[in-house]
Formats: sequence, C-alpha cells, structure tokens
Amino acid sequence: MIVKDAVCPFCGCLCDDIEVEVEGDRVVAVTNACELGTTKFMGEKRLKNPIQRVGDEWKDITYDEAIRYAADMLLSAERPLLYGWSGTHGEAQCVGVHMAELIHGVIDNTSSVCHGPSILAIQEVGHPGCTLGVVKNRADLVIYWGSNPIDAHPRHLSRYTRYAEGFFLDNAFRDRKVIVVDVRKTETANIADEFVQVRPGGDYAILSALRAIVQGKTETIPRTVAGVTREQLIRVANLCKSAKFGAVYFGLGLTMTPGKYKNIRNAIELVSELNRHTKFTISAMRGHYNVYGSNEVNTWMTGYPFGIDFSRGIAFYNPGETTAVDILARKECDAALIVGSDPAAHFPRRCLEHLAEIPIVQLDPYPNATTAFCNVQIPVAVTGIDAEGTAYRMDGVPIRTRRVLWSDYLSDEEVLSRMYALMQEAQQP
Amino acid sequence: MKFLMITGRTVNQGVTVENKTSPEYAAETSTCFMHEFDMMELGLDDGDAIRVTGPCGDVVMRVSASVEVEMGTVFVPYGPYANHILSAGTRSTGMPDFKSHMVEIEPTDEAPKLVHELMEDLGGLAYDR
Amino acid sequence: MTELLVKNACVIDPLRGINGDVMDIAIRDGKIVEEVSDAAEVVDARGMLTMPGGIDSHTHICGTKVNFGRYMSPEDMRAGRTPRRGPMHATSGYSVPTTYGNSYRYSVMGYTTLLEGAMAPLEARHTHEEFTYTPLQDTMANTLFDGNWAIMEAIRDGDIKRVAAIIAWTLSAVKGFGVKLTNPGGTEAWQWGKNVSCIRDPVPYFEVTPAEIIRSVVEANELLHLPHSVHLHCNNLGTPGNYTCTLGSMGLIPDLNPKRQTLYATHVQYHAYGGSGWKDFCSKSEPIANFVSMRPQIVIDMGQVMFGRTTTMTADGPMEFNLYRLHHDKWSNHDVELETGSGIIPVVYRRKNLVNSIMWSIGLELALLTKSPWQCLLTTDNPNGAPFVKYPEIIALLMSKRYRDAEFATVHPDTGSRVPLPAIERELDWNEIAVMTRAGAARALGIQDLGKGHLAPGADADIAIYPLKIDEVDPSAEYQKVIDGFSQTEYTIKRGRVVARRGECLVHGSNATFWVRPKVPENYDMSKDPDFIEKFERYYTVRMSNYPVQEEYLSRNRCIETEADL
Repeated sequence: MIVKDAVCPFCGCLCDDIEVEVEGDRVVAVTNACELGTTKFMGEKRLKNPIQRVGDEWKDITYDEAIRYAADMLLSAERPLLYGWSGTHGEAQCVGVHMAELIHGVIDNTSSVCHGPSILAIQEVGHPGCTLGVVKNRADLVIYWGSNPIDAHPRHLSRYTRYAEGFFLDNAFRDRKVIVVDVRKTETANIADEFVQVRPGGDYAILSALRAIVQGKTETIPRTVAGVTREQLIRVANLCKSAKFGAVYFGLGLTMTPGKYKNIRNAIELVSELNRHTKFTISAMRGHYNVYGSNEVNTWMTGYPFGIDFSRGIAFYNPGETTAVDILARKECDAALIVGSDPAAHFPRRCLEHLAEIPIVQLDPYPNATTAFCNVQIPVAVTGIDAEGTAYRMDGVPIRTRRVLWSDYLSDEEVLSRMYALMQEAQQP
Repeated sequence: MKFLMITGRTVNQGVTVENKTSPEYAAETSTCFMHEFDMMELGLDDGDAIRVTGPCGDVVMRVSASVEVEMGTVFVPYGPYANHILSAGTRSTGMPDFKSHMVEIEPTDEAPKLVHELMEDLGGLAYDR
Repeated sequence: MTELLVKNACVIDPLRGINGDVMDIAIRDGKIVEEVSDAAEVVDARGMLTMPGGIDSHTHICGTKVNFGRYMSPEDMRAGRTPRRGPMHATSGYSVPTTYGNSYRYSVMGYTTLLEGAMAPLEARHTHEEFTYTPLQDTMANTLFDGNWAIMEAIRDGDIKRVAAIIAWTLSAVKGFGVKLTNPGGTEAWQWGKNVSCIRDPVPYFEVTPAEIIRSVVEANELLHLPHSVHLHCNNLGTPGNYTCTLGSMGLIPDLNPKRQTLYATHVQYHAYGGSGWKDFCSKSEPIANFVSMRPQIVIDMGQVMFGRTTTMTADGPMEFNLYRLHHDKWSNHDVELETGSGIIPVVYRRKNLVNSIMWSIGLELALLTKSPWQCLLTTDNPNGAPFVKYPEIIALLMSKRYRDAEFATVHPDTGSRVPLPAIERELDWNEIAVMTRAGAARALGIQDLGKGHLAPGADADIAIYPLKIDEVDPSAEYQKVIDGFSQTEYTIKRGRVVARRGECLVHGSNATFWVRPKVPENYDMSKDPDFIEKFERYYTVRMSNYPVQEEYLSRNRCIETEADL
C-alpha cells in the first residue's frame, strides 16, 4: 500500500508531500522525504511493551500497571515536572496541560532549550512574520542567520527558498538572493550568494550595525564589526533595502549564543525597521515537528507558551525559574513525566544528576538516553506513522499528521487520557 | 589548549537521534570538529581521542578535521557528550550556554564511552546496551 | 430524557414580539417545548429578566492571531488569573483571555453563541481546535476571502459563478460559516508592504479593485444562499476622513435578500471618521447612521471603544503597521499565503486623549442614531475596542443619558466640539438591548431558523436569566444596577442545562460548531477543477489533500447545507 501526502514528523518544516510505501506493519520505502524524515519513517527498534526498573534490573509490565504507576507517582509528588511535548500531537499536549493543572505541577516543553529566547524577544517587541508560502512566492532575498537548514531542515531550501518555484519570480533560482550569517562556514553557507562570517558572540553587534546603516547612520560604523567589514555590512544592508520582499530565518545560532533573547530582539527590530523601507519578515527555524504546537496549545490553555507553573493553582510563568533546566539544576522537582523528548541527551550534566535521584516515567516509542533514568517507560505509537493528530508547522500552519500503518501501540493521547482519568478519580472528594 | 566549544545539529545527529542507543549516534555526538592547524598544534590525527574539560567535568571524544570551524573554535554535534561538561546555568532565561563554553582539550589514550556508560556514570541504568 | 421548567420568567423575546410578559419556559432534551411533565426540574426565575442566550456577532476569540495575541503578551495574561475550581479550569488574561477564560466570562454574562470574526482558511484547523476548548458557547467562524488569489482571478475574468464555487469549496473544506472581507485587496497589497487607499484603488498585479471584490463576493454569497450575508471590514480602517470610503462601500450594495441584510459592515465606529488629519479629527456617525437607516440591506455593529488597556488584532495587516508607527509598542504581523494576513498590537485608550474620546463617542452615537436596533448590533469588536467584559457598561451607557453625561464630563474637554453625542437624548429600552445582543444578531447571522436568538418551541434552550426586575429598575437613573445585572446572570442555560449560576460555571460543556456546505453542480466543484488544483499544488505549501479540516475537529457538528444557484 502506498500512502500519499503523508506528513513527516521530524522537523518544523512538516513536509506534507511524502509518499510512504507500507507492507503489512512495516514501512518499506519513503519518497520525497529528506534523509532525516526517511530514517524516522523507517525507524525500527521500538520498545515492545512498558518496562519498569526494579533495583538493577528491567522487567516487563503491562500498560495498566505502567499507567497506574505514573498516576500514583504524579499524585504523590509535591513538585512534579511534566516535560517534553514537542514530539507528540496536540491532542496529547492538551491532556498534559489538564494534568499539570490538576496536580499543581510545572509543565514545560523543549522550546525552553531551543527557541524559548525567541519567544522572550517576541514578548518584548512582537513578531513580523508570515507563512512559508508567502516567502516561497514572493521573497527575492532570504537570510539564514545562525541556522543551517542543510543539516537541520534539509528541505527548507527546496520547498520554500533557494530551490523553490515562486509565483512572482520569473526564475526563482536566479532572482532570489540568499545570505547566510554564521560563525562557521556551513554547508548552507556554500550555497549562499553572500556569506557573512561573524566572530562567535558577535551577532548582536552585527545586528546593531545593520540597524544603524538602515537608519542612514553609516558614518558611525567602524571598519570592522565582530570580524565583518564595514563594506560587507553596507552591501548587506543595501541588499535588504532594495529587496522587494525579504525574509530572515534564524536558528539556535542566535538563541543559544551570548545575548540570547536580546539577539533575537535586535533581529526583530532590524526587520521592523526594514518594513519602513520595503517588506520584510522574520521567523524562527523551529526544530521538532510539533514544538510550535506545544507553544500554541499551552498558550490557548494557560496563556503562556512554555515554562508554566501551576503550584499556586493559577498559571504562573517565569522563564529562568519555571523552566525545566533550572528546576532540575536546582534539584527542585520530586518526580517527572517525560513525553516526546529526551532530556538526558540534551540537558547539561547537573540536570541528569537530579533525574537520577527522582522517580521518572517516560512515554517514548524508543529506548533513548532518558530511559536509563526512568522508573517506568511506556512505548507509544509514533505520531505520523501509527498515530494521527495535529501538528503546527514552524510558521503556525496546523496540519493533521496521517497514520500510515496500524499497530497495537496506544497513542500518547490515549495513554495520557487514561492516566488523567485515574488521577481525577483519585482527587474526587 | 583552550577552545570555544559550539554545539549544534548535524544531519548525522538527526538521522540517529531516534536511535540514541546506537553506536552511530554515539560516534556522531562524540565527534569534536577542529581546525587542522589546531590539530597539528596538539599533535592529533583524524579520529584520535581527546579529553575535553568544561566547567562541570570532562569527557572523551574523537577529533575530526573540519574546514568549517575557525582556529580556536571546536564544533560538537548536540548530544550527551557535550552536555556532559556544560554548566546548567541559564542566566534566568531557561536556556543554558550551549554555544559559548570555553573548554580545555588535550590528547588522551582513553576511548570515548558509550552513551549508556555516560548515563550510568550519572546514576542511570542502561536498558538496551 | 431530561426536562427543565423555568418558572415565572419575565421574558423579552423580540423575534416573537414578547416584551416583558411573565411566563414559564419548558425545556426537553436541550430544546424549548410547549410543556413538560411534572417530573421536570424547576428553576424559579422569580420575575427576573429572561432572554434568549446572548449572541456575539463579531468577536475574536479563537485562532492563529488571537493566540498570538496571548503568546506575545504575558503582561496581559497576568492581568486576569483564576485557579482551577470545581469544573472550571484555570484561566489567564484580561483582553485576550485563554479559551476557558473567554468561555467562562461570556457564559457568566449570559452569552451562548459566538461568531469568530476572522479565520484564515489555511489556518482554520487552529480556530476549530480552540473552539473545542470554548465549551460553553456554540461557535462559528467567518472565513477570510479578502486577498484570495483564485477569487481575484475569477473576478478579473468576470466569472461570478466561479467566485461562488471557490467560496463554496473553501467554506466546506475549512468548516467555515460566513464570508469575511477584511480590507478587501489591502491584505494582498500588504504582502508587498503596500495598501489600497479606498474602493477604487487596484490591487497590485491582480488589477481588481476593492469595489469589484465587494460587489462580486456579495453576489456570489447570495448565489450560494448562505445563511449570513457578506461580512465586511471596510478599507481604510482608522484613518481620518474614512467615512466617505465607508459610505462608498455601503453604496455598492443592492438589496438582494428578503430575509436578512445583504451586507454586514462590522465595527463601523472605526470607519466613521471625519477630518483631514488627526488635528481636525471628528465624528461622522450621523451620515453613516442616516445612510444605514435608509437601507434595510445593511446591518452594522458598533465596534465600541471603552477606555483602558486592550489588544488590537485584525486581518488588516497594513492598518496594524500604521498603528505600530503611532504607538511604537510591540508589533506582530502574520501574512498568509494566497489568502490574507493579520496584525496585532497592544493599545491603551485614554480619556485624556482627544482622538480616543471621539472614538468612544462615535460608537455610542452609531447605536443611538441608527433608528432600528436590528440594524446596529452591540459589539466592541472584542478585544479591539475593549474586552467583551465591558458590554454591561456599554448597555448602561445606551440606556442612560445621565450615565453618558457623567462619563462625558471625564473625557477630553475638546470632545464636545467634535461629536454630536451630548445632544443625543435617546435612551434605549430593554427590548432594544435584547435586539442588539441576541435577536438582531441571530437574524443578521441567519441562524434564527436554526433555533438561535429566540425561545419559541423547537429552539435551542439557550437562555440567560439576569437578576434584574425590569419593572423596578429605572435604567436611566439606576445605571449601576443595569451594569451589575448584565455582568452576571442568575442562571445561564445552554442546551437545556444550567451551565453558569451567579458567576460560577457548573459544567464542563461541549460546544457545537455551525458551518456551511453549499451544494454546487459538478462543473463548479473546485476539487475537480484542473486549473484550480494545478495552481493550488504549485503555490500553496500545503497539499490540497491535507488542507480540509477533518470532522474530528468538530465536537458537535452542525452542518448547514445550502443549494447553490449556479
């Protein structure tokens, strides 16, 4: 059987033109997807059933036992952390929010360690953005800043920018200029018309210099700024001002470097400034296929995109205090539910040391680094493969992922709903 | 020798990210990309083991020559090896300093650990080694 | 079978001509019926003001831009927080509350049906997801067609039936209810950083004018026999002197439908400005209200501004950018490929600001000068003019000249020379308020035949019982009692269940979503039209097969089928 227009559950591009060939309960071929997506669709080595750590041994347990364990663990916790969420569908994320609210826990998603700083900047100065198709059809200038799509979002270039066809561009490949700003000469830099190599930590200064030039204060710019010559900065600013439609796509090269959210703020203010001259937009290259969805779900349900603390009953938001890395590093939480992410691979060591000390339940189809710290792991169906549900693309467009094959695994939403039902029952007076 | 360590995503890290117990994932995320002049200075050949010491500890990786990084900077694919030595401080943003740690690098005879060994060192129990 | 009997209600039900009669209302299985058995549960309304549940005919509560208003505004989220309590979930937000916040606060005010004013088709799934978490109101979404490429091309080709066919396919695909035009043509121009100045200004590349878009889409809307008329946000919102543009747009509209208006012009306060700039800015509510009063084919809503902090959000991207340049606060914009766009900025409306004071006056004037309350509905374009929780104050202002005078004394001192408000003596009565907040909204939306906006047997049992004795309260003098009474129902009944009582919501609820599926002949089925499909697959970034919103997204599905005349 061939499933057409399947939705790839890997990165924030959420490509929805994938053809998946299925034989029985196995994917045997994938067309149109990049290497990352293909590997995910073909993924094997799933955990077969829930497992529990007993002393220094792992034993198999039933779903009922595992779900009961999780509910009891969360109910008896004083400061539970519910973390992850970007690798699952929106319907499951909604249950997670209700759960956090019920047990006065903290719910945080992986954006606190990817584009959390971008969100902080947007909360200061807003966000002039657009859907990807607007860029595809109009943009004659695209800037990748601190992002490396060839490695992290391989089809971004072919679907939306460098190699994409555009309604308002006669010859899109020739008429569309691409600028790459990075500290490394990445693969993406090799296909750029202009590469701006910034000294590490120098992005803020470069952005300020460009703002000054756009405002006509070129005389204030020194000969070089963070390793970039004044001539190149002026050339880049002129390319921006003379474009009919410019689009900036930034990545973790801005959010994780010194300055963090202030870098993003400066970039957004540059774009707002450019809108006084021409049309310009800016957008984050969101990593996980549904990390943006977890921000959306959290926002309509709690008011905040990530880092929400229900310990006082109301939704309380204070990134740096109510975010997962900080809570773990302060050794504050006394139990954790991990869904759709792998903090043990992605968090600093000190956080892992605390993960080793508290009870943890993880929902994940595969054994991963966090498995080593789990008391219980519950395998679930993979959204976009054997489960369906809503995901939000990096530009906010919601797409329903398709099920391409049927398995006996429960979806995240089903497991969480059963857990939540047990918790509600226990809390009835 | 002191280096600025930058972490980031790579295709190989992405391809193996859903299979973190695999040797491929361990190999990719324990690779430290370095400018070849810096490697010469440290007397390193491609694939040699290095000890990388950060603010929170040290970890063994393998060095790989790269034209992408500048001298004085190393690039490590985002994963458990780099995180083994990073500080958890977020400067009140929720985000650790993933791209701005200074590290000390020296040659070593030890081999890099596997991912599950790193996890067990911190108190975990590997399921699928 | 569940039965409920509301006893001794003092009923105002304008669609049935009932004005203050004390009577019982019988309910069975969510519907109003002639009578119920003795076993029915009884709610004693004790002579309290009882009306059909409130209907907001234009509000922004769910979807991409609303959520972005929350996302970018933690300061607004902090300004309204409640914990989980009984069946009520935690809420956050003042001007852009979370979905539960909207639902509970509307319910406590007696509102049972809400029309989301602007849904971009490409992002419709998001609106429907949020509808699911707005459990205590039935919902429906106006669908944006202002910058739709396929429609502009069909208009350029002079093919109105094709315009209708594209609307039909899109509404069915995205589960939309009505046709919305926001700054028609302007949202497409804005994707180049440009705008259209008024209805005769051509849209770049597409070479159609806003006037052509408005007229063609109005005709197409009637060919499809949609329940609601075209819902128009005129060009040129918020600029001094724009009332001529508004009159010009309204002047395009023939009277094509005997059952309801042919054009619904929304938040007209923002489109009733005189003057050549901010220095001589003034009210032009009189020519607009007079024009509307003479044309039954037009219904407007107020778009009332109330003083204080709020968040503006609209599909009108260029207007928001102009506002940003005035206010210098944070600005968000979100253009949507081949369709439309949106913009958001926070604002504070101040009494000490002359322009803001004039805006406040204009909304009230429109309601007081439009002769028939059926032609001017009560809205704030929530949250653009003010959050909807201000409705009770607006009701009191419309019912009390004394209250208006007291407020007028506190606004900018020059306001009196720019507006007619102080000279207007009219005070609306209870019945007129009922028209403006439910009966008129139901008729304008075309949902009275679906059992909304009245309490006749067969209607949905959506009822608001307010702790107001209308024969004892003099609204002209006791306006504070009016505000208090409309702020919190004694009972809100939704689909035959008491869902809110004295400020507390009692059940979790489950909303119904109304949407429209026009039936078109085979040769007008866009899902089979090679040209439409080819362009869709080439220029959208979502496959056509992944575009339609699946029925999984509707918790209760109220599909309205129409027969198109194509």
